[in-house]
Amino acid sequence: MLDPLQIVRVVEENMKAHGLPFPAPREALYSWAKPLKMPDRGSPMLYTGGLYQITPYIMSVVDSLSKFEDLKLISVALKASRLLSTLGLSGLVVRPRADTVSYVENILRSIVELLRKAGVNVAYGYEDDLYSGVLLYDLGLDELFKEHAVKVYKALKSREAKTIITVDPHTTHIMRSVYPKYVEGYDLEVKSYLEVLAEAGLKTEQQNGGDVVIHDPCLYARFEGVIGQPRFLLQKSGFKVLEPRRSGRMTYCCGGPIEGLAPKMAKTIAKTRLSELSEKHGVIVTLCPICYANLKSVSDDKVKVEDIALLLGGREL
Amino acid sequence: MDKSLRVWVESEAGRCVYCGFCEPVCPTLYPGGHRGYGPRGRVNIALNLVEGGKPTEEVLKSIYSCLLCGACNLVCPAKIDIVSVIRVFRALMWRTKTY
Repeated sequence: MLDPLQIVRVVEENMKAHGLPFPAPREALYSWAKPLKMPDRGSPMLYTGGLYQITPYIMSVVDSLSKFEDLKLISVALKASRLLSTLGLSGLVVRPRADTVSYVENILRSIVELLRKAGVNVAYGYEDDLYSGVLLYDLGLDELFKEHAVKVYKALKSREAKTIITVDPHTTHIMRSVYPKYVEGYDLEVKSYLEVLAEAGLKTEQQNGGDVVIHDPCLYARFEGVIGQPRFLLQKSGFKVLEPRRSGRMTYCCGGPIEGLAPKMAKTIAKTRLSELSEKHGVIVTLCPICYANLKSVSDDKVKVEDIALLLGGREL
Repeated sequence: MDKSLRVWVESEAGRCVYCGFCEPVCPTLYPGGHRGYGPRGRVNIALNLVEGGKPTEEVLKSIYSCLLCGACNLVCPAKIDIVSVIRVFRALMWRTKTY
């Protein structure tokens, strides 16, 4: 395991310098949305919180950290990354894989298309689609988190958002259950796009989707009550949903939340979970970019890991 | 350390009866290698250090390797909010720079 305090300092410094926990260009958060021509203010507003978009950068950082963890050179590497970050040269050290960037951008575009088909036309804040700050909260950087949360809330209000539609469990949880405790007067209604689609009635052509096994993310299943909706939506789209040994509230974590702190331990946990899922079926559905990244990183060509938004959008297996 | 949060951690973590029900569901216990990487260990580390003791390197690894996944919260018979104990303890350590 890496030195936790060094990692926390890197996250803190990156947030202060760039508004993101890992080195990534700001425009990576909203450039995917430009072809969709969503109105730039109004409600409901799609708020991604940037987690899908920074996932390719996280995967790249974790890949590098894993190598350094093996070589015991992490201290030197982290000091170098802190220096580069301070000098604004972070783009030089983190290069995400183009296919992963394309994959997560297609997920976000698919979510917008699914919402439109269900009659929900969302606005989007573009430059104001800021990172939610979830990692600051998880690591206990409370003062910085509070400061950032107020900034995010003001940005959303300036874009006339009343209801925000979120796209991943971490952002849904932080915006719905944590922000109200940290931001005075917080009055945004927060819904996951899965909840919105299930309520609005998914308009999709019935597919002969085949069998899939579902991996419940901890935050949706244990903290936000999003369990039935993804199953309902998949079944409505023609998929047969299989349950792993541990599912619903009793789900098992993918290991992703510690991938930046303990890459080897995260991989061990992901392998355990992948084994549980794949004993049911070779096609695994994820609802979270962190789960996707961590399970995908330990999968082989016998197993497919796919995000639910792409399956609902008609991606063939 | 911040008194109200410290008191909260003490009252919450102090309800642990060492039953160990939380351990089989914790994903980090087995790869961590000892009980400091499970919920029971972490809760009692927090309880012992919340008064201001200096954490060792291994204690920091234990506390920061928690996934905050909440599997332990579901099975704790004392209904301890273990996830919040760990997260608040991280915040207290960072705020007061006790390491």
